[in-house]
Amino acid sequence: MIVDDLPEITYTVKYGLEKLNPDYEVTRVESGKKCLEILNDSPIPDLIILDIMMPEMNGWELAKTLKKKIEWRKIPIIFLTATEDETSKITGRIIGEDFIEKPFEITDLKNKIEKVLAQKIQENKN
Amino acid sequence: MHINFSISLKLTLLVVTISAIVIFSLTYVNIQQQSEFFEDAYYEKAFSLTKALDASIQNPDYLNDKQNVQNYIENFTSLNPDILKLSVNIPKENILYIFASTDVDSIDKPSGAYNDLSYEEGAVIYIPDHGENAHRLTMLAPMNLSGNIFGTYEMILSMDAAYNALDTQMRNLILISAISLFAMIFSFLYVLRRAIVKPIIIFRDATKVIGEGNLNKKIDIKSHDELGDLANAFNNMTTDLKNSRTKIEKYNKTLEKLLSQKDEFIGQLGHDLKNPLTPLIGLLPIITEQEKDPKLKEHLQLLTSNAEYMKELIFKTLQLAKLRSSNIQFDIQQLNLKNEIDVVLNRQQPLLKENMIHVENMVNEEILVQADKLRLEELLNNLVSNAVKYTPNENGTIIIDAVKDKHLITVSVKDNGIGMTKEQINRVFDEFYRADKSMHERDSTGLGLSIAKRIVEKHGGKIWVDSTGKGKGTTFYFSLKSGYGKNN
Repeated sequence: MIVDDLPEITYTVKYGLEKLNPDYEVTRVESGKKCLEILNDSPIPDLIILDIMMPEMNGWELAKTLKKKIEWRKIPIIFLTATEDETSKITGRIIGEDFIEKPFEITDLKNKIEKVLAQKIQENKN
Repeated sequence: MHINFSISLKLTLLVVTISAIVIFSLTYVNIQQQSEFFEDAYYEKAFSLTKALDASIQNPDYLNDKQNVQNYIENFTSLNPDILKLSVNIPKENILYIFASTDVDSIDKPSGAYNDLSYEEGAVIYIPDHGENAHRLTMLAPMNLSGNIFGTYEMILSMDAAYNALDTQMRNLILISAISLFAMIFSFLYVLRRAIVKPIIIFRDATKVIGEGNLNKKIDIKSHDELGDLANAFNNMTTDLKNSRTKIEKYNKTLEKLLSQKDEFIGQLGHDLKNPLTPLIGLLPIITEQEKDPKLKEHLQLLTSNAEYMKELIFKTLQLAKLRSSNIQFDIQQLNLKNEIDVVLNRQQPLLKENMIHVENMVNEEILVQADKLRLEELLNNLVSNAVKYTPNENGTIIIDAVKDKHLITVSVKDNGIGMTKEQINRVFDEFYRADKSMHERDSTGLGLSIAKRIVEKHGGKIWVDSTGKGKGTTFYFSLKSGYGKNN
């Protein structure tokens, strides 16, 4: 699942990832509120790519909400950030699993996703 | 109150020297004239005394009664207290013998001096210039008894009375000169202080106060002379300065505000550009990869590399704006310089290999620097990639070395590339400046060295460049504070 208020970003991520790996199925979501609605109604996604800078509910707030609910707590999050400051990178690593800075190559994003998913599988085994 | 000694002293010394020379030469000339005058007087006196003596001893028969002559000259001497010695010398067998004398012991002995006196010459006068007899006048006069010359009179006159009077006079003169000299010095100093030194001190203090930034200081000298004019001009100058400073401060504030607005704008623009760039950076490589038509593929590759360049430009501009802001914080730690350089060189290995450039890291293993690890790597990275850019592929060499001087480490990055002209050296750290105009924009953002300069300056160091000219290679230097390890 990709959550970003900008349609060109969600489109890029969906198109790019599905092109690189036909096994991926990416859901485009344009706001935090919409994300919570979809999570309530649909199956839980394997991973969420979450933009930090969004109107109304920003990425941090959405992540906090997700971490509060047991079913959602284990969904891995990769943050999308436009700022290069150290604090948001570190916070991104603490709250979520990883982060990637805009603009990025889809290959890099794919590599990060694979790494996070592999870690997840490893944790589930333990 | 502190006196400015140097000016007063110089002028006073000058005046004192000149007046001392004038006073003492006048005194000397005066004494010289006086002594000549009274020496003449003593000569006259001695001459008249011998005349009187000669007139008294009229009869040659007198000379038969030695005792009588002796009594006479002793009597004569006692009447004239200035006479120290009086002798009557008579020749016997062509030698002058002392016939009678106030110096009783010398009677009947040869008279010694003046034996060869020519009687025709008349009286001879003799005054030694100095020594114990300096104040004595010796007169030798022919004995002229009724026209027959028989012998000589030798008379020694003391001039002490006159000399003593002269000494007293001279002492008084010197005393008066000294007193007037001192009076002159003090009045001169007083006038000097009032008229020149005091105003100068006022000027000096005012300049100091103004130098400390208080432009409200005014000089209060109302005299109608050059100093008064100077004070007026000075006050006008400070008023002008104050006005210009107020203006400059206003401009500065506006400028600072504009600058921070510019940085904010750049930051905002940079961040806003990242979003629209994401589809380009994200999708172009995939589309290019999958394109089969070679012509189209080439176009897509051009688009990709331009998008990459745009991304690079945005990142570097944001970095520069960030380095310029005052609230940026560095994580300063002790770093082994050689290791840090090796890390950077390893990362640059593909670029170095591609350009066939040989790099030597000659830095001493024990050198430590105090720096922010990430920024130091960025700095070295920028300098090495810059060196690679301007070094031709064949036999290209980059040498990195470091020198320790007390608490400062100076690092040098030397290449044997195309070198730089003076104009290029002056502008090389300017933003968006490229030494080689022919270089394509895609190869260089023109920001790397500006970033390097900011990083070094934020560490409190300096960065500079040196080149012996076109084609002779370039060396970049930067300095950092030394770390203090076990061996330092």
